[in-house]
Amino acid sequence: MGELQDAAVAGVYQSEQGDLSSRDQADVWWEAAEGACRDAGMELADIDGLVGNGPNGIGLRSHMPGAGLAEQLGHPLRFHAKSESGAGSPLAGLNLAAHAVTQGLADAVVIVNAVAGAGEGYTSSDRDASVAAMAKLSGPYEYVYGTTRVADYAVFAMRHFHEFGTKSAQLAEVAVAQRHHATLHPLSVNGRRGEITVDDVLNSPMIADPLHLYDCCVINQGAGAMIVTKATHVASLGRHPAVVLLGYGEGHSHLDPNSVVSMTECPAAKLAADTAFGMAAVQRDEIDVAGLADHFTIGVILGVEDAGFCGRGEGGSFVEGGGIGLDGHLPINTSGGHLSFSHAGFCGIFTAIEVVEQLRHESGERQVDGARVGFVTATGGAQQAHAAAVLARA
Amino acid sequence: MTTVEDGSYEKFLPEGIPASQMPFWESLRAHDIRVQRCDRCETYRYHPKETCPTCQSREATWAPLSGLGTIYTYTIVRRAPTAAYVSDLPYALVHATMGEGFRMAAGVAELDITGLRIGMPVRIVYEDITPDWTLFRFTSL
Repeated sequence: MGELQDAAVAGVYQSEQGDLSSRDQADVWWEAAEGACRDAGMELADIDGLVGNGPNGIGLRSHMPGAGLAEQLGHPLRFHAKSESGAGSPLAGLNLAAHAVTQGLADAVVIVNAVAGAGEGYTSSDRDASVAAMAKLSGPYEYVYGTTRVADYAVFAMRHFHEFGTKSAQLAEVAVAQRHHATLHPLSVNGRRGEITVDDVLNSPMIADPLHLYDCCVINQGAGAMIVTKATHVASLGRHPAVVLLGYGEGHSHLDPNSVVSMTECPAAKLAADTAFGMAAVQRDEIDVAGLADHFTIGVILGVEDAGFCGRGEGGSFVEGGGIGLDGHLPINTSGGHLSFSHAGFCGIFTAIEVVEQLRHESGERQVDGARVGFVTATGGAQQAHAAAVLARA
Repeated sequence: MTTVEDGSYEKFLPEGIPASQMPFWESLRAHDIRVQRCDRCETYRYHPKETCPTCQSREATWAPLSGLGTIYTYTIVRRAPTAAYVSDLPYALVHATMGEGFRMAAGVAELDITGLRIGMPVRIVYEDITPDWTLFRFTSL
């Protein structure tokens, strides 16, 4: 038995991101799992626990992910658990995996998010199909009017503008900074499209006022994976510094945007962050690098406020002037985030993987000098379910 | 307001509405909107819920509304979710704080969307979209 902090991320992997519709989803799942094992200095045979989805099977198989994976690995798995928090699921999964390894329920737990092939709905590489499926993520009381996921966040932004004087140019700074980060990451979807300016964002088509095209995440497929084991095991493998889970918290909020009490502060997001920071016994100003859920630019502005990096209504100023860039007061989403790196499936995994690589000092040109403590959030839906974690280089 | 009699309505219809929530939709059909109000603490519940988020009572009465509110936030959609909504572009979605103190979200009707402002007063009107379903929308006073 041990403390949560005794668990660590041992291996990570990210596949190509983009249109993977010609590839088999299960093949991409295995590529990611194998890649994370290799990164850790482990083998597939070492896996004895699964969090989240296994390689897709048909019918009963997909409802018993642990059994499905065990059958293919050729040995019984000791642990399976799953969080249902949308894009927040992989970060919630990191907590579940950490509990499993520290409680002796498993030695090596794999978490994989893999989206490829003829995926339906939001796992499709087809933009129209994806937009249509995501439109109905708000319930029937709202989607009958033609809501879209962009519109679901636009109403938050519009209210933030009204209450605090936040401006489109401030939202644009989030997109600009993250696009720059993406240009430094060879796997990012948008990095290959090059740098953008604030004017580029403001001149991009309006999708749902006040959110422009470049305020929105990419729509793509791809995979990411993590292996979680004990920190002492990571040290003995000798490949990377262990990145430990110092603190973790969740906040589950609401199902439909209409139901939130305020659209400019989210008690559930604060709860998640406060729980994580409290458990970690870390102060906000000790965070060297962060990954904040950024389905839309407004998400980062709400995110820095709800996580307590600035006061309520100060998010716009916080991100201005390169504040979240690699040399800023808090580098955020240093791979490009969902806006420019990847938004595939349960995309919170990509946010977490980038912070893990930063804390390992393996981020190359994107490296935040001397990063030792990181903060990660992952949000399911339109501010609906929140997970937050404090990670540290052991 | 458009009425479609031939079943050709191609926008999203409400799906999976549990029987317990149908009184709301029936009240729209009757053009007499009603929302749950908690029998214990009188908090309105919208969307319909099994319990009161304020006092957790499970008892509620379907209470009539003034139909009046003010805009809390809004957006103008310029990229439609499906082809069925394209001909409506650009269209507004409004979240209004109702006179009774809770929020409702809907599209708008007979309203110049370029004039939308937070704080603007609105009232509910009805739109019969199929023989079975009626929506409410917001319009200016």
